[in-house]
Amino acid sequence: MTIDSLREFGANVDEGLERCMGMEDFYLEMIELGLSDQRFEALGELLDAGRFDEAFEMVHALKGVIGNLALGPLYNTISDMTEFLRVKADVDYKALYQRVMEQRKRIMEG
Amino acid sequence: MANNNRNTLDIEAKHEQDFRRTILVVDDEPVNLRILGNILKEEYDIAYAETGEEALYVIKNQKDFLSLVLLDLHMPGGNGYMVLEEIKGSEDLRYIPVIVLTADESAEVESLRRGAIDFLNKPYDRPEVLKARVRRAIELSIDRNIIEATGKDALTGLLTREYFFQYAREYDKFHPEQEVDAVVVNISKFHLINELYGRSFGNRVLCSIADGIRSVARGCGGVACRSNADCFYLYIEHQENYDFLRKTLADRLIDISENHDIHFRVGVYPDLYHSAHLQQRFDRALQACNSVSKTTSLDMVAIYDNNMHEKELYEAKLLGDIEKALLENQFNVVFQPKYDIRSGEPELYSAEVLVRWKHPELGYIKPDFFIPLFEENGQIKELDRFVWREAAKHVRRWRDMYGVTMPVSVNVSRVDIFDPDLLEFLQKILADNGLESKDMHLEITETAYTDAVTTIVDVVNSLRDAGFKVEMDDFGRGYSSLNMLTSLPIDALKLDMGFIKGIAENNKEISMVEFIVNVARFLDVPLIAEGVENSEQYLLLKKAGCDVIQGYYFSKPVSSSEFGHLIERSGR
Repeated sequence: MTIDSLREFGANVDEGLERCMGMEDFYLEMIELGLSDQRFEALGELLDAGRFDEAFEMVHALKGVIGNLALGPLYNTISDMTEFLRVKADVDYKALYQRVMEQRKRIMEG
Repeated sequence: MANNNRNTLDIEAKHEQDFRRTILVVDDEPVNLRILGNILKEEYDIAYAETGEEALYVIKNQKDFLSLVLLDLHMPGGNGYMVLEEIKGSEDLRYIPVIVLTADESAEVESLRRGAIDFLNKPYDRPEVLKARVRRAIELSIDRNIIEATGKDALTGLLTREYFFQYAREYDKFHPEQEVDAVVVNISKFHLINELYGRSFGNRVLCSIADGIRSVARGCGGVACRSNADCFYLYIEHQENYDFLRKTLADRLIDISENHDIHFRVGVYPDLYHSAHLQQRFDRALQACNSVSKTTSLDMVAIYDNNMHEKELYEAKLLGDIEKALLENQFNVVFQPKYDIRSGEPELYSAEVLVRWKHPELGYIKPDFFIPLFEENGQIKELDRFVWREAAKHVRRWRDMYGVTMPVSVNVSRVDIFDPDLLEFLQKILADNGLESKDMHLEITETAYTDAVTTIVDVVNSLRDAGFKVEMDDFGRGYSSLNMLTSLPIDALKLDMGFIKGIAENNKEISMVEFIVNVARFLDVPLIAEGVENSEQYLLLKKAGCDVIQGYYFSKPVSSSEFGHLIERSGR
């Protein structure tokens, strides 16, 4: 994962870097920390089990982190899932979750 | 960078002097916690907490060092609202400002409602915006804490005088057309309440009056303060009638003091035409308040009127002329003879030296009128010293002319007593005229004695040690206790004129005089009655056992040469 790979992914690197006071290493470290969160895996389990209230709490928390890291596309997917879960919308959460995990993987593998 | 705006607190300047403030960042997400900490660490010391419980632990332990809490709302172990409520519900912690961190718009209003000072969105705004809001929140909270600490009267919770005037000025600025009344409330003889029932009861009286005033201020859309000890100011929309204020305050007093005789006076200045500035309006309300007698047993409201206004203008004119009058010698002294009535025929005993002001435009002005003005502007000392010098000069002149040294009495004002060279000055003018201290008696009012007992006793002792006779003037007007009298150094009691006005055979007033005669006997000092105007009063006083009399019955105040003739005729 590099600054360039993040740009390529579609992250708003300028925004993320500004939030990290221009410190590239710190920004990358925070992204690694944010994406290695075990809750990404746990989220899938909750969705599989149909525990949507808990899933909402979890995805909402992840949204706060990913938003600060300015990981645009991933943030958008997570935001969508948050809003769907908030109103318990009847959508294909599995597909959404897959997208989240793919985007996460793409970033991590740079 | 120095902050040039004098109206805002300059925390950056303090920062330069290594005055670093501490911020607690509370978030269960390590990424958010570290990003926020990284943004703020350059300017602040940062403490971290990842749960609500941990946050409360830090807040309670570091409450004196925390300048701000940045608080995430959604956390395990007690959510942010719980932390916010605990902070705002605690007397110790509520001063610490809290900014809420939230991604939910719906939570913003709720957070502010629960006492947060601001909120920051997630994802975070640009660091510069975030830092500016943090800085602003700290400034505001410092401002507010300073106002709470200095703007509020500690006893009653009303505003202090300075803040009151600031609020009133703000009010005027934004309501230029509103008719507003300046109201002054004063508790009558409050020092007596303290003395008779104790300070803690006195404080309860002040708090009750303050409660009443606060409720009136709230009800009428205004502000109120405790201006000083027992004096309250109220600035409210114009009222046609102040009975409601009188009733509100009287009810509050009844609640705590059914058996005590406590009264208040109210003065109102309605500024319907916005013709006077703020301070002036309260001066006038105070003047109206002071126009009500302190001794009345009713709760009275006085409205500033034309007579008071004329008096004010007249006083202002006199105050402006004092300096010139002293320079141009517009004063002269006259002598009110005192007669000893103990033996068969009244004998000339002494004279009280009185001052007259012959104003070049206004003619003779009564001392009752100008003496308080001199006391107010601090120049009474110069006037007193002028009188003393003149008195000594005339005593010397009479001695030269008639071979008799007739002692006179002069007034010593309260401020003179605190003058360290009082004794030296008196001794010098006597020496300059070849006189001795026994040739000049000193009259000190009873109220001066009750104001600052220790100082007065010390000063009077030193004057008496130097040979001066000290007379307690206006005895009965003040409130000296009988117990106190025994320890006061005095050589004569001078009865207040008020006692003499109403005396008649077998009435209460003459019984009171007889009682005071006994007090004087007990103290082994002569009793002097002043203001004696007719033979009936004279005979009653003589019968009661009064020793010395002064007043129009014997003689009006006379000039130096006329008094000289009296000395000559007295055959002393």
